Order: sequence, then structure tokens, then C-alpha cells
Amino acid sequence: MWTLIFLIFLSLVLGIGAWLFFIWAVKSGQYDDPEGPKYRMLEDNEEEEKDNKKGHP
Amino acid sequence: MANLICNHCLLSFPERDAIREEMDGSRHVFCCHGCRGVYFLIRSEGLADFYSKRDWDGPGTPAEPLKELDLNTFNEDVRETEQGREIDIFIEGIRCASCVWLNEKFLLRAKGVLSARINFATHKAKIVWDPDLISLAEILKRIQAIGYKPRPYRESEQFKARRAESRDLLVRFGTAAFLSSQLMIYSTALYAGYFQGIDPGTKIILEIIAMVLTIPVILYSGMPFIQNTISGLRHLHFTMDALISIGAGSAFIYSVYQMFIGGTVYFDTSAMIITLILLGRYIESTAKGKASETIEKLAELAPREARIVKRSRDNTKDLSTEETALVLVASLRKGDLIKVLPGEKIPSDGMVAHGESEADESILTGESRPVRKTVGSEVIGGSVNLFGTFIFEVTRTGKETILAGIIRAVEDAQAGKPRLQILADRIVGYFVPAILITSVLTTTGYILRGASLNDALMTGVSVLVIACPCSLGLATPLAVLVFTTLASSRGILIKGGEVIENTSRLDHVVFDKTGTITEGKPSLKETILLDQSMDRQYLLRIAASLENLSEHSIGRSVVGAWNGDLLPVCDFRATPGRGIEGTADNKAIVIGNKAFMKDHALIAPDHTVPIGALTFPYEQAGDTVIYMGWDNILRAIFVVSDCLREESANTVKEILLQGKRVTVISGDNRITTAAIASAACIDDVVSEMSPEGKRDYIRGLQQSGSRILMVGDGMNDAPALTEAFVGVAMGKGTDIAMESADAVLVRSDLAAIPYFLDLSLRAYRVIRQNIFWAFFYNIVAIPLAISGVLHPIIAAGAMAASSLFVVLNSLRIKKGARV
Repeated sequence: MWTLIFLIFLSLVLGIGAWLFFIWAVKSGQYDDPEGPKYRMLEDNEEEEKDNKKGHP
Repeated sequence: MANLICNHCLLSFPERDAIREEMDGSRHVFCCHGCRGVYFLIRSEGLADFYSKRDWDGPGTPAEPLKELDLNTFNEDVRETEQGREIDIFIEGIRCASCVWLNEKFLLRAKGVLSARINFATHKAKIVWDPDLISLAEILKRIQAIGYKPRPYRESEQFKARRAESRDLLVRFGTAAFLSSQLMIYSTALYAGYFQGIDPGTKIILEIIAMVLTIPVILYSGMPFIQNTISGLRHLHFTMDALISIGAGSAFIYSVYQMFIGGTVYFDTSAMIITLILLGRYIESTAKGKASETIEKLAELAPREARIVKRSRDNTKDLSTEETALVLVASLRKGDLIKVLPGEKIPSDGMVAHGESEADESILTGESRPVRKTVGSEVIGGSVNLFGTFIFEVTRTGKETILAGIIRAVEDAQAGKPRLQILADRIVGYFVPAILITSVLTTTGYILRGASLNDALMTGVSVLVIACPCSLGLATPLAVLVFTTLASSRGILIKGGEVIENTSRLDHVVFDKTGTITEGKPSLKETILLDQSMDRQYLLRIAASLENLSEHSIGRSVVGAWNGDLLPVCDFRATPGRGIEGTADNKAIVIGNKAFMKDHALIAPDHTVPIGALTFPYEQAGDTVIYMGWDNILRAIFVVSDCLREESANTVKEILLQGKRVTVISGDNRITTAAIASAACIDDVVSEMSPEGKRDYIRGLQQSGSRILMVGDGMNDAPALTEAFVGVAMGKGTDIAMESADAVLVRSDLAAIPYFLDLSLRAYRVIRQNIFWAFFYNIVAIPLAISGVLHPIIAAGAMAASSLFVVLNSLRIKKGARV
């Protein structure tokens, strides 16, 4: 019985943690631009140096 | 002649215009020098990856010559922060992830720019810079240099409220979803316990936890529904919200009662109803938000400042040399003198006091030709001054202006427009009372048959529990989401879900003329040679060389028709409303209207037919005729007209094929309108209509039973757009037109209209099916509830089956889409 109550308590604590994280995410604007990140991820940041080395005009 | 694709803007253009360039062994072609310049700038900054990364499906805006930006409109948005100065601006022309990448990279290259981040969805850029190293003007110039347009970013109050609402919905939905998922764990355990047997002590613990998890779902997440139900019931309105509150509430009360007598509980049903409905609402609000956001971006900023002329004590002094100051339009008073520069919007209604010019009033009156303004002429606020500088005296301000009158007409029409309830709401209006009656009958039936009051009441409540269709909340929003996504990929922005239903029932399409079925800007239609010894190309070249110096829209049409290089011109002089003159190729050339020719004593070469007979058919067709000549002899006639959009005729044919009537309506004169209409294959013509006249025409037709789709672009169409069953505005139209409309054609491509009609029809069919199936499973289960053998598994099963069906069915809209 006590294991059951302990596990229930644990799952609720974890759940509330996730919920607080969600609230934080909404408040901090994580949901404002759902499209952008998937493209940003594919950007190569090193290519500036690469291109400069190639000596473009 | 073959068409080439510009390497920068992807615009297709005739081969003879090509600007070719060889670089790194590969060849490039550009449509103009602007695009070439931008291309090399981007390459020289090492950002050429932009071209391989981008994935545009259509041509973009070709690079325009840099225009001076009005810094004042940006300056008030600048904020001081710890790192430096910060501003939010909107960047026009962003179309894909590569545009975002290019802009960010290019801005960050500039010394002094600390951060530049662009929101992909809204195209809003947040830029932080160090004012000691770089100025805002330089930053904005950089954005312009690579072919994008920076604009001040402003949010209207309405827009802010919508965003706050959407965020509130997200929090409520997220909370409900989290609690429901937790709840599922315990519900599953309880279901398992039902089949395998469960220790009563464990059962009650699980049930209490389930109840604790359900309470916030109902009282926090479901609060908006409860509030709406209470306010709706006061007027005896049974809305969807009432159904949800009744369903979730009765499930909860029933479960609490069952918990105490050791029966089965329905907490999961109660929570899932609210969660699914909230999901539907959230989907709806994001779909709606996206459309209104884009419309907000398309809307031009109205003139907010005016150049007021300070009158000195010496009244005899020439007005044009007086000093001016910028003041807010709102602070203008009658009798103020306002100076208007070429290309500016006229800030208020008034009478010209000094100077002369021509004004483009097409957005207000529908008249496609520029209207001449001399001392004493009336000018209309909101129209555009074309090429002269003039000073006018304000005669009307604020609410008295013509512009304000049109806006008022739009507001009146909006208030008077009977908003059709969407299908789901109409059905719910009948369904809720029916269910309440069934529930009451069940209870009385049980009492009459001698059951205990307790059992009778609980059976009655169980009818309410099972009757509430969870997936009803998803039925419309999901279909609307698929619909708006498909529509926006074709350049149609939809403002709300009810547009689908309204559009699917249309039987009559009314087009505005200027700017809708025509391009809205004049172009050279024909060149008639009077002096046969002259070369046509040579004459056009001379005309274009002179007209190039004029800002006149008719002049621009001549320039647009000539693609070669221009001749040097000296002694250029323009006479507003009459014509221009100048010396080119050692000839004193005169171009202008008939009166201007007479002034310069130019006569026709005697061997040709009378000029009047030549030009008459064109004038009758509504075209503008201008003459060119030198040495006292007329050499050529140019016919300029507002030409039909390429796709107009085909669009009209398709709409006629769909079995709908087509009419063209215009503020322009009868002859011009009829000529354009017949070119677009439209028989039905209504002309010389004021903005209110158009609205009344639409109203009259609708009162006689027609359902009208109105397509327009101008301010003069705004009242009609609002009045019509469905209003569609052109994306290049005015902001007020876009605000009045239910949908906007972003690319101003009329060919999207037949697609829009077809898509609405299909989407509406799917919505009807969705609603049927959402109700179906629950209604089937009602007899079980009445007979008293209802079980939570059945409720959960009905919920899952109908939701799944609704989701899959909504995706079907995509399948039949022909793009």
C-alpha cells in the first residue's frame, strides 16, 4: 500500500514539474515562433570563415 | 520570344531585357540592374549560399531602387536597453528560411550590430545595436541593400488582445492536457480493476486522486465555458459551451456520487471533453491569428503626419517659400495650410491654394485616371499626390472627411451584417434542449415505473454524460485548419471558419473593375504612327526618354513599354494635366493631350485621316490618348489603357462553369467599364457607382436571395466587401479593403478564386461529415444510458472512435485539392 502511495506521489511531483516547465515555456515565448528553429538547426555557422578563406571578392 | 528567369528574384522576363554577367566560369542573368547589384552584394559578403538554400515556389520582389526611408516613423519605436539600443521592425519581402538567414547574417556583419533575430512566422526582427558604432539609418539601409524593405512594426490593440487570448488558451489547454494525461493513468488502473477485481481501499484512493485531478480541469481550464454558459442561459441560448459545461459538469457530479456508493466513475470523460474542446479552440485561434497577422503586415500605414505651412505676418509673400513643420494629422484644423510633396498621401480633405498637380484617387473613387488639381480644386484625404508640389487649405478634418465617411459606412455594414452561426452551433442549439428533455423523460419514466428517486436521477444524469460529443470541438477547427493551410499555400488568407460555410453556398460573384479585374495601373496599349516615314522604335524611344523624367502614371506606362537605352533630354518642362516638353536628339519635342497640342500649334500631317476618327474608337473604349510631335507636326499617338489582368478572363470562365453568375461593378464611367467587362467575358455590368451605391447594389441582390462573393481592392469597395456574403480583397489593395474583407488574395492572383470556391465546397462537406460522426457514436450510446447499462468504457470508446474519425476525415480535404 505504501509503495503505491509513494509511487503516486512521485508521479504527481514529476507531473507538476513538467507542468511548471510548460508554463515557463509559454511565458518566456517559446511558442511564439514554432517554425523558425527547424530551419535554424540546419544553418552552418562556420561557413563564413570558409567562404572568406576562399577569397571571394 | 523566350523568357528567362532572373537569378536573383526568380521573376520571368523577356530575353531582350537580360543583363548578363560572367562570374567564376558560370553565367548569370538578371532582370534589372537592381537585382544584379543585390546579387553581387550578397556574393561579396560571402552569403551566396542564400541562392542554393532558398526554396521559393514563385518569383519574389525584384530589387527596386533604394527609396529614402522616413526615419521619424522608426525612431519612436527605439528602446534604450543595457546592451544598447533596441528596435522591433517588420521586414517585408521575407519568404523562406534563407531570407531570415540572409538578413540575420548580413546585419550581424555590420560593426556595431549586437544582435539581430528574426521571427520566422511573423517576420518581425529584433535588432540590438551600439549607437556609438552604427546608426539606425545605416542598419535600415543594409536591409534595403539586399532587397528587403524595413517597416515600422506596430501592433493594434485588437491584435494584442488576440495574441493574449491565444496564449491564455494555450496555458489552459496545456494544463488540461497535462492533468488529463495524469488522470488517464488512474483511469486505466480503474478499468483494469473493473475487469480483474480491485481492492476497495485501493479503488477509493485512485478515485479520490482522479477527482482531485479533474477539479482544476473543470474549474480552471473549463472556466471560460462555464462563464459563457451562464451568460448564454440568461438569454436561453444553448451554445456549444453550454453543451460542454453540461456534459463535463454532469459527468463530474455523477462520478462523485458513484464514488460514494461504490459505482463506476467518469472523471476521465469529464476532463477529456474539456481538453479536446480546448485543443480545437487553440487550433482555431492560431489559424485565425496567422491570417490576421499577415493582413496586419500587408496594411499600409495611414499618413499620420502632415507638413503644415507656417504663415508669416507678411501675407503677400509667396506661399511656396514659407517654412513648413511636421505635425500630427489628428491635430489639423480647418483653414490650416498643408504642403504635399510628390508621391505623398494627401493627409486630409481640402482645397488647393497654391501650386498644381495630379492626384490618384482611384482607391477612393474607382476612377482609374489621375485627376488634375489646380488652385481651387478639391482634394480628398487618402488619395495620392502624383508629381507636383502643392499647398492646400484644410476644409474638413477628422470625422467629416470623405475617408472617415467610408470607414463609417464599413463599420455600419459590419454591425448590420447578420453573422451566420456556424453549423455546429446551430445543431447544438437544437441538440441541447433535446438532450435535456430526454434526460428529464428518462428520470420521470424511471420514477413512474417505481424506481427509487436516486436511481432515476442518476440514470437521467448518465444520459447527459454520454450525450456530450467530445470530438464536436475538433470537428470544425481541424477542417478549418486544413482548409486555411491549403488556401494560404495558394495565397488566400482566411479570416475565420465561418467563411467556409458562407463561401460554399455562393451563387454570384461580383468583381470590382479598377485594380481587381484590371491591373489598376495604365500601360501602353498601342502606338499609332502619323508620320509613316518614322521608325516606330525611334518614336517610342524619344517618348520614353522624355516621359522618364515625368512622374506621371501615364508617362510611366510609355517608359515601361520601352526597353532600350534612353536619349539625353534637355530643357525638360512639365505642365500638370496637359503634357511635357523637352529637347532630345536636337528636336523640340512636345507630348501631351489635345489641348497641349493646340497650345503648341501642332497639326496633323495633311495626308492622313482626321485625327478624331483615329482616336474616337479608343476614347470610346475608355482609353487615354496622348499625342507626340515636333516642328509643328504631330508624329504619333499613344493609346494608354488600364489593361486586364492576365488571368481575369480564364477566372471568369471557370466561375461561370461552376454555375455562378458574374458581374462587374465600378465607379468608373459606363463605356470604360463595359469595354473592360467584355474583354473579361462578363456580360453583366454595373457602372458609375459610389462606394455606398456598390453596397446598396449588393444589399439589394442579397435581399432578393442571392449569395454574393465580392472581390475588390479599393477603399471604395470596402462597404460592399463588408456587406457581401463573402468579401475578398486584393493583397495589393488598401488596408481598409483588407480589413473589411473575409479573405485576402495575398498575391492579387484572381485565379485563386475558383480554387477558393471549390476548396470551400469540399471543406464544408467534410465539416458536415465530421459533425455527423461526432454526434453519431454518442447518440448511439444514449439508449444504453437510458436502459441503465452505461459503463465508462463505452463513454471512452465513443470518445476515441469519434475523435479518430474526425481527425482522419479532416485530412481528406487535402486529397482532392488540385493546385
